[in-house]
Amino acid sequence: MGLKVPYVTSYLTEHCAEDDYVSLAGYEAKGGYRAAKKALGMAPQEVINLVKESGLQGRGGAGFSTGMKWSFMPQDSDRPKYLVCNADESEPGSFKDRLLLERTPHKMLEGILIAAWATGAEKTFIYVRGEYAFPADVVQRAIDEAYEKGILGPRCMGKSFAHDVVLMRGAGAYICGEETGLLESLEGKKGQPRKKPPFPAQYGAFGMPSTVNNVETFCHVPHIVDQGADWFRGFGTEKSPGTTLFGVSGHVVRPGLYELPLGTPLDEIIFEHAGGIPGGRKVKGVIPGGMSMPVLPAGQLDVPMANEYLRERQSMLGTGGIMVMDETTCMVRASCIITYFFRDESCGQCTQCREGTGWLNKIVNRLERGAGSEKDIDILVDVAGKMEGQTICAFADAAAWPVQGMIRHFRGDFEEHVRQQKCPFSGSFEL
Amino acid sequence: MPTITVDGVQYEVEEGRTILQALDDLGLLMNGVDVPHYCWHPKLSIDGSCRLCQVEVEGMPKLQIACDTRVSDGMVIHTTTDRVKSAREGVMELLLVNHPLDCPICDQAGECKLQDYAYEYGALQARTVEPRRALKKKVDLGPTIVFDQERCILCRRCTRFCSEIPATGELGIFARGDHSVIETFPGMELDNPYSMNVADICPVGALTTKDFRFKIRVWFLEDVPGICTGCSNGCNIFLGVANNKVQRYVPRRNDSVNDTWICDAGRMSYQEIDSPSRVKASLVRGEDGVLEARPYAAAVEAAAARLRRLVESKGPGVIAGVASAHLTNEDLAVLKRFLEALPTESAGLPVPRGEADALLVKEEKAANAAGARALGFEDAAPLVERIRGGGVDGIVMLGHDLLDPAYLGGIEALQKLDTVIWIDTHQSDLRHVAHVVLPGRHAAEKRGTLTNHAGRVQHLQPAVEPTFEAHAEGETLERIGRALGLTGFGGDPAAGSPTASSRK
Repeated sequence: MGLKVPYVTSYLTEHCAEDDYVSLAGYEAKGGYRAAKKALGMAPQEVINLVKESGLQGRGGAGFSTGMKWSFMPQDSDRPKYLVCNADESEPGSFKDRLLLERTPHKMLEGILIAAWATGAEKTFIYVRGEYAFPADVVQRAIDEAYEKGILGPRCMGKSFAHDVVLMRGAGAYICGEETGLLESLEGKKGQPRKKPPFPAQYGAFGMPSTVNNVETFCHVPHIVDQGADWFRGFGTEKSPGTTLFGVSGHVVRPGLYELPLGTPLDEIIFEHAGGIPGGRKVKGVIPGGMSMPVLPAGQLDVPMANEYLRERQSMLGTGGIMVMDETTCMVRASCIITYFFRDESCGQCTQCREGTGWLNKIVNRLERGAGSEKDIDILVDVAGKMEGQTICAFADAAAWPVQGMIRHFRGDFEEHVRQQKCPFSGSFEL
Repeated sequence: MPTITVDGVQYEVEEGRTILQALDDLGLLMNGVDVPHYCWHPKLSIDGSCRLCQVEVEGMPKLQIACDTRVSDGMVIHTTTDRVKSAREGVMELLLVNHPLDCPICDQAGECKLQDYAYEYGALQARTVEPRRALKKKVDLGPTIVFDQERCILCRRCTRFCSEIPATGELGIFARGDHSVIETFPGMELDNPYSMNVADICPVGALTTKDFRFKIRVWFLEDVPGICTGCSNGCNIFLGVANNKVQRYVPRRNDSVNDTWICDAGRMSYQEIDSPSRVKASLVRGEDGVLEARPYAAAVEAAAARLRRLVESKGPGVIAGVASAHLTNEDLAVLKRFLEALPTESAGLPVPRGEADALLVKEEKAANAAGARALGFEDAAPLVERIRGGGVDGIVMLGHDLLDPAYLGGIEALQKLDTVIWIDTHQSDLRHVAHVVLPGRHAAEKRGTLTNHAGRVQHLQPAVEPTFEAHAEGETLERIGRALGLTGFGGDPAAGSPTASSRK
């Protein structure tokens, strides 16, 4: 079938264009499961230390240290421990995990096996978003192959270590990508994030100690084990080592996935790798890390794509989904879409999130219709501020930040709607 | 025990409790320390979703929800800072974004937490111009409850109640975000023996009981503390009184008896107070065999006269006393004294029985069976045998439980008796055999004590005054005893009696 993306590869996606790499034999032919074999010969704590030393940060959006997360799993617990692979990729603008699931499922399984050994987990649940029907089939085939060859099962790779992997499919709710919302859904309940504490390492899937990691996070692990922490730190920045998959979409000549070191400047990704803006138009704003991350204006595209730099610009790397909007874009319209998404996807538990997401969306819609006032813009800022940092999970933050970012950098667009009593961007996309 | 400081005052609290639980344990919540909350309820699991109870905890950068933040030794908590107030204002504004504000026609108005907190933390002017969400105003959830989806603030107390207390789980939250609504699960209705509690725990006017809905504005009600008389559990209640009428029962929290709940049957038993089946008149059977209304004093005299004639002809031993497990300890003590003074040893206590459950409802369907037994009244089964065997000629009957199938099963055995003096609150077939009928007082109409199944003695006070002449049963027995000239029955029956009934 062949693969058109990505345009730039590194260690994660090196063989992703090769069809036989999907199979166990193809994967092993390129050195697959070598790292797992090595890891299973190490002490679990050694593996955790190695991952800690590598500085690997979770690639699901929050960017938390993976090794640290693993070390939270209780050492001497008589309760079963679980791993959960978060393959519920649902952040608008993100499509990196899909490639990994479809093209290198065994790399993910190898990462899972290493993590299982390190944390003493007896089972992994892979939670695949409902819409990813094809990726789910690919992963299931890979799991079956791994069982057949004894890589998974009662004696993983011939060792006296048992590990099972179970694939579960979601039903299409964004909030089930939040780790505790995912756990609820995994248990067959309505996907609503849990109060923390207790954290998943104490009370996770089915009440057992659990660690939830993103697909891409698992995929980095075999490379770290195989080639070492120093090698891994050779990519990216000091604080954010390794490569990541940047998914570039929107107004660019070559939308797609680009595996680049963390810290690659945003303008380099957009203009060199993704071919710049079509039709010679200018960039207006870029959402750097999936829709929940605050937008950056054209003047800030020199930012290195790593959390330590993006935070200085009041944004974050998120899932690395870069959404480029050119000068024809109406930022109020873009805000309509963003706020509608969060209004639709809020689980509805917490007052601020349930009511705030709806209110933001209603105000933005009114502004776009030309029926808003200057005061509405201030209300948007105020309501977003009241949603932030006060809820069970980070969803309310994710809904508030983009609105704050839009007004921070594009208040002029909003004011122009008020002044003209209509949308001044006739050429912008249709709502 | 950890020590915490709340608004500058130190308290010793139990380990492992959350801030709200600790304040509740100390009896301070809403009674000195005001931490507004919607989703938290002392008898339900912690939800942590309304986010109204946020407080400042020193050393924690973000505000913390008091309902789900565990206390630790040395914790310093502030509940009145500007940050806390601003967070509360934020939550209140958001809760009101979609609320219909139909307080003028809302039953909850006057006892509504949304009103109360909006008054305290709400903005004077709404900043919303958008239409509020339009939902169903009148959802019939089942036999007892009507639901207004627009008023609902999704605190999820009702859904947790159904899952955790009766464990029937009829209610769920459907859809997400600001389009989520509470509904019954497909094919179910809200129908369990405790269903009406959801109206009490609903902080707003979303869940109302069909019984109380649109009946009266709550600010006209006086809440009189009392005891439910539906069974021997003795659940603590407030009797909502207006116009000398009990308009409703609602549970009164007592963690040793009923937590914050009452069963639906008990709640609806207030209807017995102002029921058409009350015994309202003193009646005496005439020579022609017809019951005639007579003044109370004359009926007391008539009762005494019949009993005196029987004592004189056959001796007091042929007279039996039937105690009622519905009466107060004070009423029953007079009965006991009355029987001893006659004297007769013939007595019995019929106790009506029914279904019990694991939560509150007890098998004995009377409020004071334990108290009656403690006073020495024994089960009426032997008395029933004696009546059937002809060993009884006269009877002083309190209540009508002896007619239960478990005892006499009807009036047949009583038809041949020489004298039946019947004192009761409610009508029964006994009117066909009674020679004298005297009205009694419902527990809501008198002072006294009831002993529940666990031996807990609880007070009654009069909440309403009967609209007809009726006296507490003990008082009536005092009067009959005095008319009979019994030893110890010389005084003023009302003055010395703890069952004296006037309200003020």
